Amino acid sequence: MHRRLHGRGALFDTDPPGLAPRLLGLRPYQHRAHPFEHPAELPFVVLTGARGLGKSAVLDELREAYKGHTPVALADCAEQQFAGPPADRPAESWSPVAQALLVIAEQLAEPVTGAGRITFPRLMSGLVAVAAGGWSDADSERIRREVERILLLNESGSWISSFAGRWAGKVAAKVVAAATGTGPFLSGAVEATLESVAEGFASRRHQKASVWYRTYPNAGGNAKRGLILLSGHFRAGGTSREHAERYLVRALLADLTEAYTGVLPRMQRLGRPLVLLDNAQSAPGPGLVEAVLRDRSEGIADQVAFVGALRGDGREALRNAVRRALPEVARRGEWTPDPAVPSSRALVVSLPPLSPDDTLHIVGAVCGEIPVPPQLPHAAHRLTGGNPLGIGLLAESAAQHLPQVSSLGELLTADVRLSEDTDGCPAYRELLDRLVPADRLDELTVLAAAHDHDSACALAAALLPDDFGPSDVRALQTRLAQEGLPGAPGRFVGDPFVRTLLLLRLHLRGTDHGAWRTAHETLIAHYGHDGRDGAADAPERSRYRLHHELALGTTESAVAHLRDTFPTRDTRAWLRTLCFIASAPYFHAHDAEGRDFTGRGDRRAAVALGRTDAEHEVPQDVDAVLHLRVRRLLHAVWQLADPLVLPDPKVCDRLRFELEQLSNLRPAGNALLWRASRDWPAAALAGRPLDAPDDEDDPDDRSGEA
Amino acid sequence: MARRGLGTWVREGVWEIPLRRYLALLVTAGLVTGAVFAVRGLTHDDRSCAPGVVRPRGSTECVGVATTAYDFGRPQLRDAVRAIQRENDRLKPGSYVTVAVMLPYTSAAPASLSDIQHELQGAYLAQYQANHDSNGEAPAIRLVLANPGATGLHWKETVDRLAAMTGGADRLRAVAGVGQSTDNNKKAVERLTRLGIPVVGSSITADDLANGQGGKDPFPGLARVSPTNTDEARALASFAKVSAGRALLVYDKPGDPYTRTLQTSFAALIKGSPYEPQPFTPPADRSQEGTTANTFRQITHLVCDTSKETDTILFAGRHTQLRQFINALGGRGCQDRKFTLLTGDEGSYLTGEKDLDRGALRHHLAVRYTSLAHPDAWARDPARTGGSAREAAALQRLLASAEREPVGPIGTVALDDGQLIIAYDAMRLAVKGVREAVPEGRKIPALSDVGLQWPQVKGSLRVDGASGWICLDVHGNPYDKAVPIVELTPEGGSRFVRIAWPEGKPPAKECLPPS
Repeated sequence: MHRRLHGRGALFDTDPPGLAPRLLGLRPYQHRAHPFEHPAELPFVVLTGARGLGKSAVLDELREAYKGHTPVALADCAEQQFAGPPADRPAESWSPVAQALLVIAEQLAEPVTGAGRITFPRLMSGLVAVAAGGWSDADSERIRREVERILLLNESGSWISSFAGRWAGKVAAKVVAAATGTGPFLSGAVEATLESVAEGFASRRHQKASVWYRTYPNAGGNAKRGLILLSGHFRAGGTSREHAERYLVRALLADLTEAYTGVLPRMQRLGRPLVLLDNAQSAPGPGLVEAVLRDRSEGIADQVAFVGALRGDGREALRNAVRRALPEVARRGEWTPDPAVPSSRALVVSLPPLSPDDTLHIVGAVCGEIPVPPQLPHAAHRLTGGNPLGIGLLAESAAQHLPQVSSLGELLTADVRLSEDTDGCPAYRELLDRLVPADRLDELTVLAAAHDHDSACALAAALLPDDFGPSDVRALQTRLAQEGLPGAPGRFVGDPFVRTLLLLRLHLRGTDHGAWRTAHETLIAHYGHDGRDGAADAPERSRYRLHHELALGTTESAVAHLRDTFPTRDTRAWLRTLCFIASAPYFHAHDAEGRDFTGRGDRRAAVALGRTDAEHEVPQDVDAVLHLRVRRLLHAVWQLADPLVLPDPKVCDRLRFELEQLSNLRPAGNALLWRASRDWPAAALAGRPLDAPDDEDDPDDRSGEA
Repeated sequence: MARRGLGTWVREGVWEIPLRRYLALLVTAGLVTGAVFAVRGLTHDDRSCAPGVVRPRGSTECVGVATTAYDFGRPQLRDAVRAIQRENDRLKPGSYVTVAVMLPYTSAAPASLSDIQHELQGAYLAQYQANHDSNGEAPAIRLVLANPGATGLHWKETVDRLAAMTGGADRLRAVAGVGQSTDNNKKAVERLTRLGIPVVGSSITADDLANGQGGKDPFPGLARVSPTNTDEARALASFAKVSAGRALLVYDKPGDPYTRTLQTSFAALIKGSPYEPQPFTPPADRSQEGTTANTFRQITHLVCDTSKETDTILFAGRHTQLRQFINALGGRGCQDRKFTLLTGDEGSYLTGEKDLDRGALRHHLAVRYTSLAHPDAWARDPARTGGSAREAAALQRLLASAEREPVGPIGTVALDDGQLIIAYDAMRLAVKGVREAVPEGRKIPALSDVGLQWPQVKGSLRVDGASGWICLDVHGNPYDKAVPIVELTPEGGSRFVRIAWPEGKPPAKECLPPS
């Protein structure tokens, strides 16, 4: 019936109830009440996560689930309308928060099942006062346009008002007349608005609303004076404006509270109103969040369910918020605010990556009737790390290209059409557009190959414009961390999926892969002087160098290094080195010499299975058997660790065999090698990353190390 | 929403929203109530005719006790019923007792219906007189109509209903009327009296629907206004000077209580007669013609065969058979011989009978019978005791006033059949019993006390009825009640002959029955 999100049951489940029904008091997609989890005061839920983790999708789904059942408003703070004032509007009478309040109230006003429109007389008065601050040189047409939109917030939509003529139109005329006439235009407009709210067939509620601004600081019990002060504060900018904006937010919440108060509204309305703030990290998000949290901590309670989406982890903005992972709040919120700290009224919920099961479901759902290779979903999960956007696009690409194209690499580079009326675009580019900050895509494309700050600087010096120096590298690192893409040890871009995509972009930049080669050669050079200075980190540096050589297709040095160090090095370190070297990207088919060529095919499997052993020339003075075994092993790991290639069971078998054989050669590392012979093929088949066996709990291994 | 089922819509669009839920519940409750009433209205077999009056299962007759102006579907009764209702409505709650007039109101026979009408009129006039012309004596009298059905078949339901009315605001204290002496009426009277409800019989004449027969009182609390058949026969005998050798008895076999007692009384009068009594067997329903006409033709031969001194025929039968017998006698062989046919009060039915061969009455045949009462009785036979023209005149004045408001109208009045007069007297007796039973300082008598008054109605406490003095003996039977002898006229009417007395003479001034 509904397109449900996968892997977000912790939010949308009804039985047992997920976070959303407990928060809103309403079952999703249904008009059925549900007990509140926090009947008195509810948390400001903030969903956090990096790009592509499905925050916007969750908010969209929340809106879909509750639309028509309870007032819902969704404001995407990254939208253009919040970036700056309209052309003809002075900045002094406009702010992102005021604009967001108008947009949110407009959506909340819509009638829902069982209840009519909500009116916002308080917010309307405040917004008129704010807008009136910019009318000093406005013509009446502009004033009418601005004020009519605001006045519509108080349109009840009942048959009485339509019978009596559009209320907003009449009031607009009055306000325009007051604002353009002689005398102080601001107080005239404010007075006309307040009178219109209170006069005529207005109910007791409207009377109450018209005097709400009496309590504005220094208003002296005069609502008109309060509004004029508010307008002045807003115009003044800075913290004065923040103060005025907080009062506007309070006005919105007071109007909503009013709409839910009384016998009749309580008999008509179920649950709580829902306000969704996407991209709350950008203005007006922080202002709105702060205003709500501050009011709540000051005891000005409201019953509005806020759900925001914040890129990154929100540690700076919401320092003291209660933090939970989504699965933790699936059944209970366990949220208790600290009375003294406003930000503790927020409940920060991090969205986890999707599980392999979810991946399977998504691929199944998108591909429908098309037969899918059985390992594709697991491989897609391994590649994306559970990133919902990646999984979705890969599934879409698979749906459009199966069965001609089946490897993940080809699915990433194939054109994907996301809608009927758009041209196709390679899937990896589509993904990068949405997973990586667009303004730093080119820099990141280059720096993705780096492992740390130094190597990144080396790359920047070689491939990026001169004005991109080490400080910019640091800034980019910080930015990535803020966006929820922190670096990992040994990786400049921590997220393997994003790194793979960036490297793929680097690889495909230019027809001859020139930038790709230059990048790796730069890094080979950067790590190339290990023997000379004999530093302690020499093995590390050689590891990086060999990794990049392998990325360029050169296998000999890697085989030689692994062969030579096998008898002497610590087994775990050796296995780690093997894994790291073999994690070199392999985006394009290599020919017999290891060069990229345009044909299809993957020689790694052939080498791994020993089919090329006969023609391979073993160097002089080395143990030929060990050499060939290491070579086969390297290729097997290289292929199986490649997130773009579906795991081959035959190669897995061979990997197990080779490791078993090696374990016989190293009594000291026997246990570790033997465990790897069991774990790695299984992990590869299951789509898990290969890793050196963790030895903490293995007494056998500890003795070997000692 | 269109794709969702009705159940979902009801659940989410109505039930979940409290305002709509309560409105829907209200509307549903209203609809259900309406539906229940509609179904009940459509399916309910309304067997009630009026308050207290219902059609029993399997019957189309409306029986029971009518406490409102209900005429049992007989337009003839309407005026009288309305007059009673007017009088009832006038009474203040708590100031009255109820007397039921039990008659077969749903009877279809025109003759019976006209009798009923006249009885009802008489009862009403007595009620009116009791409530208006008795110096404010308490309590006032309310009349209700009790119908046991045309044949008395539903006597039990009616009696039960009457019994229920003895309590509460109704305070039923007596049942008057009862009508003919049929078996059902006998059972009804038996049950009523067993329940302690006093009964005043108006036109019952049968001996076995009376107390004191054979020394037993099977109906304690029953009082009668009409003389028993025995008394009537004795009065007839005293009038006609019947002797054994000059009379022939013709009787109904097996007979009903009325004919049997008449037969017995006649047989006693002519004990030792040389002629064997001649029986005839009519159909069970004695208003049917049957084959008795042939029997009567044969009997006429026997009549002619009697010796010349024989000039009296005693007839113990009902009026249909009486008419057949008279018609047969009209064609008898011995037209020159003069006969007088004597019978009981059934003869009164023949006054308006169209099938009667009136020519028979012109050929030396006189039909004389006892009447329960006759309007001319006291005018033409001014006896000094046993009755008075004054009471008859009082009734006449009442009747005259009843032609218009406020007493009337009460419908067409006829006094010839005596029913109005006898019912008037019966009602007056009931009123007398009720008022005599009122304890000192109270207004309402106890039910059990009313029936105990009957033996006291004698001497100066007698009721001076329009039909004659009513002095009751210890069994509740009238002592030496005047019996008007009436003769059928060839013109179709009746002619008062003279008053006869069961004792052979009027009672003494004291009017005390001998022990």
